[in-house]
Amino acid sequence: MAILELKKVQKTFGSGRTKVEAMKETDFEAEKGELIAVIGPSGSGKSTFLTIAGGLQTPTGGEVMINGTALTDLKEKKRAALRLKEVGFVLQASNLVPYLNVGQQMQLLDKVKKGNLQKEEAKELYQSLGIDHLIRNFPRDLSGGEKQRVAIAKALYTNPSIILADEPTASLDSDRAFEVMKMLKEITKEKQTATIVVTHDTRLIDDCDKVYKITDGKMELQERVHDIL
Amino acid sequence: MFLAWNEIKNNKLRFTLVIGVLVLISYLVFFLSGLANGLEQLNREAVDKWEADGIILTEESDLRLQQSVLSKEDFDGSGVDEYTELSQLSAIASNGDKKENVYIFAVDPSSFIMPDVTEGNAFVYEGEVIADDTLKEDGFEIGDELSLSSTDETLEIVGFTDKARFNAAPVLFTDQDTLDTLQYGEFAEGDSDAINAFIIRTDNLNNVEADEALQVIDTETFIENLPGYTEQNLTLTLMIYFLFIISAVVLAIFLYVLTIQKISIFGVMKAQGISSGYLAGSVVAQTFLLSLAGVLIGLALAVITGLFLPAAVPVAFNYIEMLIYGIILIIVSVIGALISVQTIVRIDPLKAIGG
Repeated sequence: MAILELKKVQKTFGSGRTKVEAMKETDFEAEKGELIAVIGPSGSGKSTFLTIAGGLQTPTGGEVMINGTALTDLKEKKRAALRLKEVGFVLQASNLVPYLNVGQQMQLLDKVKKGNLQKEEAKELYQSLGIDHLIRNFPRDLSGGEKQRVAIAKALYTNPSIILADEPTASLDSDRAFEVMKMLKEITKEKQTATIVVTHDTRLIDDCDKVYKITDGKMELQERVHDIL
Repeated sequence: MFLAWNEIKNNKLRFTLVIGVLVLISYLVFFLSGLANGLEQLNREAVDKWEADGIILTEESDLRLQQSVLSKEDFDGSGVDEYTELSQLSAIASNGDKKENVYIFAVDPSSFIMPDVTEGNAFVYEGEVIADDTLKEDGFEIGDELSLSSTDETLEIVGFTDKARFNAAPVLFTDQDTLDTLQYGEFAEGDSDAINAFIIRTDNLNNVEADEALQVIDTETFIENLPGYTEQNLTLTLMIYFLFIISAVVLAIFLYVLTIQKISIFGVMKAQGISSGYLAGSVVAQTFLLSLAGVLIGLALAVITGLFLPAAVPVAFNYIEMLIYGIILIIVSVIGALISVQTIVRIDPLKAIGG
């Protein structure tokens, strides 16, 4: 069974002459252990897809299922609880709380949710992401790459089944960007998460299991990744 | 509390300023409450000292002691447990060096309104008085001969009592004969039965049987009708209530600005699934911590200030009242934070993360 499933999902804004189809009727599936890239130029509807998939906005039509639960049936409070339990977000801009150090960012998640990583598991995660020496540092003391790695650690800390990453390499140089993608792939395989990376950078899709391309809100699965490259 | 406390720890300057404003407001509230209390005491101490339930005055007196003139025969004690007569005179007393406005109360030494002597002796002979001990602080001593503004007669201080001020002036206690001499002169006909009031103790004022020309009022009503007493209290109380509102508004503005600055990070946290309730709780907890700190520091400063104030400043702290005002300050501050809570609830995580 797919962990994340979008069935005939579409999103329109406005009506009549001002009607904009941000996302045309789309079917999408993500399985455990899959690293999926969603590529497309700016304004093509990538972020709309990601926010609908993460339950941050409701589609105009169709259904979004996370682990068999239809998001459209849930009220905001329950959607938020489901996001906390099942989805890890890695955002374009750092999603770190500025007045909490790296360790406290994780402690905050412990305050709001049970069943997060155990101490030893968290330690291993920090080591694998190379941030174990940064636990007492505040976001203002971290470089762009370090912040992004901490953001990934934060997304993984709650043991999510889905990771939604919105341009996770946008603020990084090429080397760091490849490093982050490599890391996401390793985590996806090791933790058996479904990881969806939205990006406009086609150089980063080399290791992805599936690639979807969005053009003017129309999302299509690309049969051969190398055709895009 | 976790988010609230860590934010305060990491933004010390910002939150020190917020606490600073709250300290000033709470200091002013506590100081004004001390002043209100002190001024109240200044007016009513001597009356409280009677531990009486009521007072009988003439109907025509407009509830003013000095305007009430009646006879000892006007009331026979029907319907009361205890009663005694009171006569009074106001004057300016001088010991040669110092002058003070005083009230002279003539009381029966065997009655329940006879004050306890804290220093010296009770009056025995004509012309002897017990003085309120604020006169001692002003330089009057036992043995001082007091000349009065309204008569050539003199009085002698033979003892002191505590907490005996009436209508903002210290009281001199003496017997009826002395007061008669002060009022009517040395050759006044003896045993004048003119007095100003009967002071009564009873379980039920309605049971008191007094002449139609007299009125029986409870002690609190009598105090509230002292000249300027209610007006002064209302003014100070109004100032304190305004400070509560100011406190709530100031903190609400501060927190609202801080919340607006944090909209994007709150949005990100909401996107991650952290509930509005948790974030709102964090703002309320932060407000509680800030107002608690402000109130405690303000309280400490007010008490310390009170220790160094000269006796002439009528500040008397009522710690229970201060505790209540402190709790009210914290509550109104938390109410002020509810505007920010509303803002948090309305944050759309999608907009906050730029979706």
